[in-house]
Amino acid sequence: MRGFLKTILIAVFGISSIHAQNRQLLYDFNEIPQALMLNPGMKTSQRWHVGVPVLSGLFFQASTSGVTVNDLFANDGVDFTTKVQERVLDVMTRRDDFGSTSQIDGFNIGFRGKNRPDDYYSFGMYGEMDIISYWPKDLALLAFEGNGGNNIGRSFDLGDLSLRGEMVNVFHFGINRKVSNTLTIGARAKLYSSIFQFQSIKNSGSFRTVEGQNNMYNSIIVADMQLQTSGVKGFYDIIDADTGTTRKDLTSLFTERVLLGGSLGLGFDAGFTHQLNPQTSITGSILDVGFIYNSNDVWNYTFEGATSTEGITVFLPEDIDNVNNDLWQDLVDEIDEALPHGENQSGYISLRPVKAYGSIRYDFGEGGRSWSENCGCAINTGGGSNSDFYRNSVGGQLYMIKRPRGIQAALTGFYQKRLGRTLSLKTTYTVDKYSFTNIGLGLNLQAGPVNFYVLGDNVLSYGNIADSHYASLQFGFNIISWNNN
Amino acid sequence: MKKLFFQVLFASIFILMLSSCTEEQDFSQIDDLSVTPTLASGIFYLESDEETINSAGGFGTFYAQTVNFDAFNEAYVAERLLEGVIIYEIENTTSKRADISIDFLDESGTPIYQETFTVEANPTETFTREVTYGPGGLSLSILTNTSSFRVTGRNLGDATSTSTHPEPKISLSSAAEFIFRLK
Repeated sequence: MRGFLKTILIAVFGISSIHAQNRQLLYDFNEIPQALMLNPGMKTSQRWHVGVPVLSGLFFQASTSGVTVNDLFANDGVDFTTKVQERVLDVMTRRDDFGSTSQIDGFNIGFRGKNRPDDYYSFGMYGEMDIISYWPKDLALLAFEGNGGNNIGRSFDLGDLSLRGEMVNVFHFGINRKVSNTLTIGARAKLYSSIFQFQSIKNSGSFRTVEGQNNMYNSIIVADMQLQTSGVKGFYDIIDADTGTTRKDLTSLFTERVLLGGSLGLGFDAGFTHQLNPQTSITGSILDVGFIYNSNDVWNYTFEGATSTEGITVFLPEDIDNVNNDLWQDLVDEIDEALPHGENQSGYISLRPVKAYGSIRYDFGEGGRSWSENCGCAINTGGGSNSDFYRNSVGGQLYMIKRPRGIQAALTGFYQKRLGRTLSLKTTYTVDKYSFTNIGLGLNLQAGPVNFYVLGDNVLSYGNIADSHYASLQFGFNIISWNNN
Repeated sequence: MKKLFFQVLFASIFILMLSSCTEEQDFSQIDDLSVTPTLASGIFYLESDEETINSAGGFGTFYAQTVNFDAFNEAYVAERLLEGVIIYEIENTTSKRADISIDFLDESGTPIYQETFTVEANPTETFTREVTYGPGGLSLSILTNTSSFRVTGRNLGDATSTSTHPEPKISLSSAAEFIFRLK
């Protein structure tokens, strides 16, 4: 039990300290090719781009709306159990969550159509891991306080357990088209190759102990719970077997799943950019509208039923002839029978976490000729309609993501500054459930054809990263061409 | 000047990002976590009507049964049991004085502890007894070694009288509230 609790706690905080999904710094950062992944309808100026394999886009994000690592593990001399009681059990609600997302671009390539220069095609492959776990408040209270004492009569909500996680490899192909001088649209098709997926998101039921009708206490449980997993058991079995070829076997299975050898799914992204006037534009996109049919290595665990017990009961004269000594075991068996916990291997569909972005942007401060002036492709250049022409941009962004317990939103204000043709900087202020003090900074450096970007979120928390409710870092290298090189 | 301002500003902030740090964290504190929930449950309920008691005869035994009970001697439970209380309540609306005893038996059937209750005929109040186990009370080993109960109900009155109560009966309720150390 001790090891189990330790593992759970370290996993929860470990995951949240490594990885989570809003990429407000990258969104509409037109100079960075990976911004196309957030809005397929972004304005594009380059002739082609090639991301440095594995290094073109690395993204790590972590979030916790409740307790931070520092709240619990700071070396502050406060008793750990007291910290858990005061900083977790007393204050966190079932709406609080721990989330993490990481994404690594395998490769990312884009090019402009020879015959249709208004079209920019992009394709590639990236891996993504996304995990979210809501704080199971009532289950935690049941574990820490029990059903006795002041909790007699309290109903513990088994539906508080809600978590979802997946690792998926995504193959994608997108088309970005300049429809007119004021409108650019785009769409991206995605093929998902699932490495593993698990979810326990539709749980319901309760457990409560009340005054009994006959005996002093009556414990009542009603449960409808399920944990669905796909691709997990295969990895678990390899680790569990510990044959000496564990690493090789894990790599082999991982590679197979990455290359379409596991469960598969389909999805799409879509987006647009509309120029309201030469200096003002609006954008919007919707990402990962898709699903995965989990049919590979599926193991589901269920716990469903309803029962109540007041303990062993004997009524005379009805039970006078019952000389069975195993009344306790009978009671245990009855409860077990009323609450069957089963396993099945039925395939299931998991929906991808759909995300949506929207923004309005105002460009100002004419800066002379654009950095993409040599494009030669006549796309999104020239005149006052090209935002690259302006040295400054200011605007607002809205982000929403579908989570197991509803939609999470974030509001961002941003300012972007272009310093010459080589350097572009962006700063954001974001408000969401995780933080009201999230200031992000991004830098894009264009040294000839070599492009490098680094974007960091919630920089005010960098003084003590362990005390941060939200942190993200993304960076990457690309080769970009605006001419015939 | 403006350009210089922004360059200095952003350069400073990026240096800040690069110099990010964290206060000292001590993850070994998790070993100090103490999880000690109080668990409550009904244990045993015996109810007998007066007719059944009468049929056992004057001063006769109307119920005697040995019941397997491994709740506390399961290894997982026994190792984590800290302290607690077993609560007994007896109601008697019959015209009989009665005696109920509970013998705690170990795996070989040897009595290791006995709880006896004698209730008067038709008392005005519910008889209640709380027996504490652990610090300040009886030894927890009584419970952790208990494998079964022998419950005996004896009529200490005659075999003919009947209470004027509409449904005369005698009932024994019992419940446990114990603190366990899960971590």
